[in-house]
Amino acid sequence: MLYKLADITKKYENKTVLNINSLDIEKGRIYGLLGPNGAGKTTLLKILGFLEKPESGDIFYNSALVSLSEAFLQPLRKSVVMVNQRPILFTTTVYKNLEFGLKIRKIPKQKRKNIIEEALEVVGMTHLSQAKAHKLSGGETQRVALARAIALSPEVILCDEPTSSIDLENQTIIINLLKQINENRGISIIFTTHDKLQAASLAHNTLFLDQGRLSSDSYENLFSGNITKEAGGLSVCTIQNSVQIKTGTDKSGTVRLLIDPEKIYLAGVEDKKNNGESIITGKIVHITAENGKIRIIIRSGINIAILMPEAYYKSRRPMIGEDVSIIIPPESIRIL
Amino acid sequence: MDFLIDSFMSAILLAFSLDRELISIVAVSLKVSSSSTLIASLTGIPIGFLIASESFRGKQMLITCLNTLLALPTVVIGLFVYALISRRGIFGPFDLLYTQKAIIIGQALLIIPVVTTFTIAAISRIDNRYRQTAMTLGANRIQTAFVIIREARFGIVAAVIAAFGRVIAEVGISMMLGGNAKGFTRTMTTAMALEYDKGEFTLAIALGIVLLSLSFGINLLFHFFQGRTGD
Repeated sequence: MLYKLADITKKYENKTVLNINSLDIEKGRIYGLLGPNGAGKTTLLKILGFLEKPESGDIFYNSALVSLSEAFLQPLRKSVVMVNQRPILFTTTVYKNLEFGLKIRKIPKQKRKNIIEEALEVVGMTHLSQAKAHKLSGGETQRVALARAIALSPEVILCDEPTSSIDLENQTIIINLLKQINENRGISIIFTTHDKLQAASLAHNTLFLDQGRLSSDSYENLFSGNITKEAGGLSVCTIQNSVQIKTGTDKSGTVRLLIDPEKIYLAGVEDKKNNGESIITGKIVHITAENGKIRIIIRSGINIAILMPEAYYKSRRPMIGEDVSIIIPPESIRIL
Repeated sequence: MDFLIDSFMSAILLAFSLDRELISIVAVSLKVSSSSTLIASLTGIPIGFLIASESFRGKQMLITCLNTLLALPTVVIGLFVYALISRRGIFGPFDLLYTQKAIIIGQALLIIPVVTTFTIAAISRIDNRYRQTAMTLGANRIQTAFVIIREARFGIVAAVIAAFGRVIAEVGISMMLGGNAKGFTRTMTTAMALEYDKGEFTLAIALGIVLLSLSFGINLLFHFFQGRTGD
């Protein structure tokens, strides 16, 4: 086991931002850490990178208990490299940025040169070796930061939102690079994202974090809304002042609402309207295949995801751009 | 008015004639000011780095006190150091009074707050991600500190230049602790004060021209470094 975390808590100004009872991370795999903003993803990543110390709990790294003294953590950092959401490069050349960590590891000059050239080749940045690092574009910076991490041959690379601040072309490059690094070099990769699709396409394992806690929910279709009682005792949740969903709950006021994407289905002509169900119309904007299931994103004021079996998809054949109605049964809704 | 123009013309000729006395005075000035700036830099930069990067109680108060010390009159430092190094002072046995060392000590005390406060400002401006990046790449505390100082280098060099500019032009400390001994502790500013007392303006103005030229050069350097952020 690469990491084993037990009863980890982290506080900032007396506010608990992380509270993890148990987490195991295996060697050589890609983990996606998914969750909304402020869920504690970056904090967890910093703890895994030995850059932050938890208030309580135990961390085991390669099955050995990690002591939280600086003298113990600093050597551990040599095997784990974190790449920031907006990575910062030292104000010198790209080459010297990559050389920094190698010099610290006392790698001889000629070997450093070979390693740097190889790492820059992996990320396709050889031609910018002598360029001033702080003059690169966002995508180039992200790639150099990744090369700087690869050059050190770490056991783990931690990427905080690796594609959030770069253009689409570079996003694809980075995702392919992370896959390649994992497959060819066996480096474990843990990345954070709030993009479920990205996590699904890249990660072997996905972890969900919400309000500092790990959760078994996928946190897809998570909305904030306001529940009011309508005539006839029906409770209706209004999301972003545009979509109304019948909830069948006794709660009222502002809530966080989770709709299970596997329990939503496309309405057909034969479907009879059930009074407790919500029918919402929208346009299909995205269809992807995922582990034998098909994910469809429907835009209807809000984006709602549906996860359906492949057989059902083949029988219905919904198409991108098609206007559809979806049925949201009350049992698919959970109020958090 | 004529006498001023005549003095000025003579001074220009003197300044460019490489007059031995003038060169000796400029050399003493540069020597003591460079030494005091070096000492203040070796002291002020690490102190400034520590204050900027550590969190502790009373930090803001300490910075306010350092800022106050920026306005310390040179004669106050002159008096203070005089009390310490004069025959009756605790450092009296070292015979420092009226030596270049005495001027260097006084000037260093004058500009340590300058270097420290400017360093604090320069380090505080540095993005915290530099620290974290250095750490995640395996740097220890000292290596991380060097990364941060390197990133703040333009601000720190500006601090050193500003400090040098302050001491090269000061007169109080040099006069009180150096004693204006010819060829030994006579600096540009003390020489100018003496020549003024004597009513001899040629050397005073020539020294003034050298001092102004130096100040101009220092200010050019200062603005060059202060305006740079690594471009």
